[in-house]
Amino acid sequence: MNWSRFDVAVTGIGMLTPAGIGVNTSWANILAGKSLAAPDPALAGLPVDFSCRVPGFDAETVLGPKLAWKTDRYTQLAMAAAREAVADAGLDPSTWDGARVGVVIGNALGGTPTFEAQHNVFRDEGPDEVSPLTIPMMMTSMAAGYVAMDLSATGPNLVTVTACASGGTAIGIARELLRCGKCDVVLAGGSEASVTPLIASTFAQMKALSRRTEEPDRASRPFDADRNGFVLGEGSAMLVLERTADARARSAPVRAHLSGFGASADAFHATKPDPAGVGVQQAIEMALADAGLCPDEIDHVNAHGTSTQLNDAAEASMLRRVLGERPAVTSVKGVTGHSLGGAGAIEAACTVLSVQHGVVPPTANLEHQGPDIDIDVVAGAPREMPIANAISNSFGFGGQNAVLVVTAAAAT
Amino acid sequence: MNDIIERLGDLLTARFGVAPADFSAEATLGDLDLDSLGLVEFELVAEKEFGIKISDEEISPQNTVSDLADLIVSKAAAR
Repeated sequence: MNWSRFDVAVTGIGMLTPAGIGVNTSWANILAGKSLAAPDPALAGLPVDFSCRVPGFDAETVLGPKLAWKTDRYTQLAMAAAREAVADAGLDPSTWDGARVGVVIGNALGGTPTFEAQHNVFRDEGPDEVSPLTIPMMMTSMAAGYVAMDLSATGPNLVTVTACASGGTAIGIARELLRCGKCDVVLAGGSEASVTPLIASTFAQMKALSRRTEEPDRASRPFDADRNGFVLGEGSAMLVLERTADARARSAPVRAHLSGFGASADAFHATKPDPAGVGVQQAIEMALADAGLCPDEIDHVNAHGTSTQLNDAAEASMLRRVLGERPAVTSVKGVTGHSLGGAGAIEAACTVLSVQHGVVPPTANLEHQGPDIDIDVVAGAPREMPIANAISNSFGFGGQNAVLVVTAAAAT
Repeated sequence: MNDIIERLGDLLTARFGVAPADFSAEATLGDLDLDSLGLVEFELVAEKEFGIKISDEEISPQNTVSDLADLIVSKAAAR
């Protein structure tokens, strides 16, 4: 069958991000363009002692105590986001054919809070005191497993692990599951909650984190001349994807279409981006071909934009070369920090919202665009503009790249 | 005995997500959603709370809270 870019629909979104709990709060704060990094008591005394947390998330209240005590935070965030997305899509898990519902969730590091706490028990109290729930709480498979249990989704159940591209990869794979007919609905997104002393210290030792400890709210500044690293964040976003024909048949509103997916490997270096951007270009070209679009049809780019010197320079240079000066570019990581395996999904959700509402959020803290950044980066205030097609970039350590194309809903 | 049951109630609600309304002396551990891994976790927590060791063979999801209280009392007496 010949597919068009209008054949897969986004019908639901759920978000728990440092910008807030729920899509409406998150989106409003992302549009406000103010960085939400703040001192983090869990990181007190460390070289980098601030982060971007999901504010006020209480798993016992949201999910109930029976689920909260035996799940890691990254699983809890994913479950809450999945519930919101399914409700937003107007679907009812008590009546759907669960065998036709898939779950694909991106995650990079698993339940590191559990892992670190239990390692301390092992070291201080001995092997007989370690919790038997350690493995089922920390494995990267658990978010997808618990979402399936929570929502009676017994179709294909996968976790994609492509580092900071994991969430984007998950959503791209979900599109494939719909196109090959193995699912009628896919809950797809990403989740990460690894703001722990060990993980923060490790990223700091890599020189990947901003050390602007005196001004944490000015630390995440993608594409700015004074950027000096990312801010560790957490969060989850989930999308409900369906074939557009199925969504129309049940009269579900279509927020936008997931019209293309491209993936590639830099095959260059474990952590450094290829400054020539060959791998990323390949992923963008694959995604555009999948969507049947030309580079000059892309109005907006939701960039990976981590606020590190290397990523932002390489990404900007590649975007200028491949897409020209036309697209309005933003990085929401200025507001949210970098939630690793959750980031690609959070940013895909933002891209859907941008396309749906015709507005590009500003890049927080972009005061003086870097001399190496020769693209149109939105700063200061949201930019209202019609957006027919947009892309969302996600790149991971390991050189993994995922690019999604989002297309405005076709008139019915 | 009632004191032990009360402490078990506090422990199960605080650490194992048991709703206070579901807790009673007659409830089985299975009723309270403690599966096999949950029981092993409970053994570890009970060891700290009551100063006794419970082995895997001594409790099952079919045991009631009251059975558990009996076991704790007899183990504490045997110390």
